[in-house]
Amino acid sequence: MASPRTLTAATPSIAPPSIRDPVVRLTHWGIAIAVLGNAIVNEGGSLIHVTLGWLAMALLVLRLVWGVLGPAEARFSAFPPNPAAALRHLRQLARGRVGHYPSHNPAGALMVYAFWAALTVVIVTGLILTGGATPMQVAADKAAVASGDWSALIKESDGESSDDEETGLRHTAEEVHEVAANLLLLLAALHVFGVVAEGRAMRRNLVAPMLLGERRK
Amino acid sequence: MTASPDIRSAGRRQTAALSLFLVVQTLGTVFFVGDVIGDLREDPTSTHFIFEAIVTAALVLGILFGTFALRRTIELLRAQDQALEVARGALADVIDRQFQAWSLTPAERDVAFLALKGLDVAEIADLRGAAQGTVRAQLTRIYSKAGVSGRAQFAAFFVEDLLGEGVPTPEATQVAES
Repeated sequence: MASPRTLTAATPSIAPPSIRDPVVRLTHWGIAIAVLGNAIVNEGGSLIHVTLGWLAMALLVLRLVWGVLGPAEARFSAFPPNPAAALRHLRQLARGRVGHYPSHNPAGALMVYAFWAALTVVIVTGLILTGGATPMQVAADKAAVASGDWSALIKESDGESSDDEETGLRHTAEEVHEVAANLLLLLAALHVFGVVAEGRAMRRNLVAPMLLGERRK
Repeated sequence: MTASPDIRSAGRRQTAALSLFLVVQTLGTVFFVGDVIGDLREDPTSTHFIFEAIVTAALVLGILFGTFALRRTIELLRAQDQALEVARGALADVIDRQFQAWSLTPAERDVAFLALKGLDVAEIADLRGAAQGTVRAQLTRIYSKAGVSGRAQFAAFFVEDLLGEGVPTPEATQVAES
């Protein structure tokens, strides 16, 4: 226990506010669950896969809106993409001494932008593959097919004029979807590695603030 | 210090609830927008589409306003936190200087501070590893140096200071009261 003398001497310093506001935390873990979930349920076009994809899209949209309208530390202006600063930060990290940043560190910021870009590609190609069908439509089509009405299947392939072109586009979209999704998982693994390395260098638990938010005495 | 953390945790709960609501609202809106775009490709002139488009536009506006309101709430909470920290630091300064003016010894200062915190003789003795009689004697000396009759007047000394000349903000009085 601290001696009473230090109690008297402890003039409280103003702690920096946490950047982990609830919106950041909810979107972070929501997207993490959606991406990992869709990596497991990789049956493209299935109701779960499409629903999780739309979930990720909604959360990404909210996070991007929050990046413009949110509090200072959550805004894009707090963590501009800066490769030079990111490299400098990584060198510091290799030496085990890292500075403190009010928002994401420069390397983390690059990671965030790369992740968002890859996620956008995955979502857009996913939308192309499903023809932009919402989960409600997917469910309705599935129910129709299950009840013996196969017209839902015909609707998907009624483009007689540009059949080759359309299958070509679908094929490309499928390839890009898979590559970008794998890139996403790679980035996520890199992110986890970065958090561990950073947490060691700073001797701080970086996971707790993202899970629980700010806890001050 | 029991009152202020309660206010803050209430604020934090409110922020969390608002955020959760915003997330649910966004989910609904994005699904709705997708539906509207689907309808747009089918029949953009139907009443169904027009109504749905208006409702969706309202939802989007609602999200933007909700986002803005949430950001204001978060910033307000932070401002209050900072004001509280500043007030707390100022009070610590006042107490420190007053203890010096009364020329309390280091041991007496510790005891006086713990007494201000609301600890009773047994607790102070326990914390300092001293006999209760020692603490009682130290308290008596502190009261006589401060020229007060007892513990109540001793505590009131600083509260009155804050109410009279200090910063009469709600935060400052909370610090003094708790």
